[in-house]
Amino acid sequence: MPFAYAFQRLAAVPLALAMIALLIGPTVAQEAEFDAVPFADGQWEIGRRLDESQLRYCVDKRDPAWEVAAAIADAIASGLLLEPQRHVVESDIVVEDVTKVYARMLKHCDVHMGFKLIPEGYGSWISVTRAYYDTQYVFVTADPDLQRLADLPPGRAIGATVGTSAHIRLVSYLSALPAERRWPAYPYGTNDLALESLLDGVVDVALVWAPNLWAKQRQDPAYANLHVIDSTPLPPTTLGVGAIVLSDQKFLRNAIDEAIVALSADGTFANLLESYEFPATVVP
Amino acid sequence: MKTNPRLSAIVAIAASMTSMLAVQAAMAQDGPIDSITPVTEEMLLNPPDADWLMWRRTYDGWGYSPLEEINKENVDELELAWSWGMSPGGRTQETPLVHDGVMFIQNADHRIQALDAATGDLIWEYQHELPDDVNPGGERSKAIFGDNLIVATRDAHIIALDIKTGQLVWDQQVADYNKGFAFSSGPLVANGVIVQGMTNCSNAQPGGCFFTGHDVDTGEEIWRVNTIARGDTPEGNSWNGVPLESRHGASAWITGSYDPEQNLIFAGVGQPYPWNVEIAGLTPPSSDPNVTNEALYTNSTLAIDPNSGELKWYHQYLATDSLDLDYVYERMIIDDMLVTTGKIGIIEAIDRKDGKWLWAKETVPQNVVLSIDQETGEKEINPDVIPVIGETTFNCPADPGGRAWQATSYSPRTGALYLPTVEFCSNTTVNPLDPGQIYTGGGLQTYSRVEHPDGDGNIGQVRAVKLSDQSDMWEYRQYAPVTTSTLPTAGGVVFVGTLDRKLIAFDDETGDVLWESGKLSNSLESFPISYEANGKQYIAVVANFGNGLGRLQSLTPDVKLPPNNPVTLYVFALPD
Repeated sequence: MPFAYAFQRLAAVPLALAMIALLIGPTVAQEAEFDAVPFADGQWEIGRRLDESQLRYCVDKRDPAWEVAAAIADAIASGLLLEPQRHVVESDIVVEDVTKVYARMLKHCDVHMGFKLIPEGYGSWISVTRAYYDTQYVFVTADPDLQRLADLPPGRAIGATVGTSAHIRLVSYLSALPAERRWPAYPYGTNDLALESLLDGVVDVALVWAPNLWAKQRQDPAYANLHVIDSTPLPPTTLGVGAIVLSDQKFLRNAIDEAIVALSADGTFANLLESYEFPATVVP
Repeated sequence: MKTNPRLSAIVAIAASMTSMLAVQAAMAQDGPIDSITPVTEEMLLNPPDADWLMWRRTYDGWGYSPLEEINKENVDELELAWSWGMSPGGRTQETPLVHDGVMFIQNADHRIQALDAATGDLIWEYQHELPDDVNPGGERSKAIFGDNLIVATRDAHIIALDIKTGQLVWDQQVADYNKGFAFSSGPLVANGVIVQGMTNCSNAQPGGCFFTGHDVDTGEEIWRVNTIARGDTPEGNSWNGVPLESRHGASAWITGSYDPEQNLIFAGVGQPYPWNVEIAGLTPPSSDPNVTNEALYTNSTLAIDPNSGELKWYHQYLATDSLDLDYVYERMIIDDMLVTTGKIGIIEAIDRKDGKWLWAKETVPQNVVLSIDQETGEKEINPDVIPVIGETTFNCPADPGGRAWQATSYSPRTGALYLPTVEFCSNTTVNPLDPGQIYTGGGLQTYSRVEHPDGDGNIGQVRAVKLSDQSDMWEYRQYAPVTTSTLPTAGGVVFVGTLDRKLIAFDDETGDVLWESGKLSNSLESFPISYEANGKQYIAVVANFGNGLGRLQSLTPDVKLPPNNPVTLYVFALPD
């Protein structure tokens, strides 16, 4: 791995600075701006961390791509000459507010993997890294004859994971159509519910996050016959996925960004994605 | 039935030890807990003046205290009697309950405590352990019936504690907190049945929220009323054709009122989720002539028989809500009227017999409702304020509402409603809020809150409205938002708390400020009460940041609050 060696040398100077930054730790004792900075129960008792030689990262098992994200985080840690320290979030809570991440990061990790890069999608307490891959929302069907969304007859239903960028794009498009040419768009609370509605025959097409379909098809043969169709007449909705750090961790974020650039360029991420047959592309 | 001799022996020893402990406790104490009496149905129907037995003190939801020791003439002599530090952090919007000189409070971390209401001394406490992944948070209300204090929890349980000892009597899980179900307000006991509303019914639990009725002795669920209409009925077909699993919201997050004459609970239901009606699938309207899109029973009053769970009638105040403008708050029974005010700040009365709409009265400046049909109460909504994907719209009030959960009160002494209100607006933008795979909650609209363009800089108000003719009696205005419920008393005083850490007493007829507390430990976002212990009247209020109208803190950045959100119960009284 000649590049990895070169990158490790390259990283040596910023690493020292990064470690200083890590020593400083999250400055949570600032005056809260209430909704601008979440409140974590017991945050005043959370001390300064001492394990400055580690890259502490969180992955969440509810994220269908959590194993891929963990492998990417390990690669980043290696590139930064830090020991990866993985915290795996295990919870049965289906949907949580993003502010829940705040307490978790104070306690367990400097970096939380698996966040979509949405402009203005985050509070000021979060800083988002560069994307380590791009992936898409996809239209999925069980109908073997249906290959394009454009071929779905008007009046047939689409079940969309509620409130995603792709859902909003779909709804916006439908609103511009005359009533007789619309497809009803039903909002579903989660990707899993949207895919279930497809299996149940409630909808003809589901609009879901591609990694969710990937995970379902790996785990459950019932989903094996679902296939992705061309999104025409809508353009594909692609989003970058990266990690978050607390916004006062600017140096750490810069170091991670540099690692992402290098590991994308040397093919490390591409090999990783390929090994998982993961539906994503590395950001050039 | 066979008995295990060893088990019997252990039980006997345990019972004996329990008895001993109880005796020791009785011998060691000489306080109100020793003489506390069971709360009967008669007491709930006509509470002793000294007590505060339920959320709004009486079944009619007035929030009025008949005590008059503290009055217009002497209220300026009020001083701190005692205070009690509650668990910091979390959100709480506390209503203490008082019975026979014992006060019951619930901390955000679900530590439930009994205090001597005259001295503030701790009598007992019980810790309900919340799962690690459930955020701590208080409940707005509790109930007492018989020997039990009945408490709802953030992990969707209802529990009963012995009022004398704090021992757990029963514990019923009503729903799965993993799917987001939670209680944020407590139950009401009506005609021997515990009635409880469920909240937080957004993405993870399709089909919406519900009210449940529970056996008062065991907590066992005996009925459930869904707050999202279903089935092939006009109500069930009011969701624009989207299937049940795609309908969200209709949270029942505020305790209702009870009409014993009709044996009916009146309770409010919140708005549909997500707020944006395009994303919710409620627009564009379906071309199916059998389908409508008003999304019943959101933003409605439901009239429910507490014994059978039968929905007798409903009235919807705001159809197809797209701005998070709940009509969920207190329902006051006044004569033949059922009076409530939604977030838009429009006071509305319906007939408590059949839900027929009677009248409306606007309070805060608003640009959402253009007109109201004077026969039906149906509202014409300003199309310019309905959020549209790709545009920013301007609406007044914004999402916290011209009034929020801080309850309006009614004084039979003056015949007036006392409303805590705020004036502000919002630039509203539809946004995707799917930043993480799991963390996909939220309303999909961003509200950038701003002062009203014609405002005078005073965001907070208390408004007194004469009910007989809906005329304005007085109005108090101040810079910082008013953040507690109002508390009118028979002494002719109305108490209210503010974001800038003050409890204020007004003359109930003129609005003159008669007294102000010193600055307290935090903003006051709670429900103040009045009670009597050892023959003396007290005023109790919890100081805390509760994230209700506190969200307007961004409009008053110079009002500084402590960052670690201390929570303190303050009790005021006249000097001895």
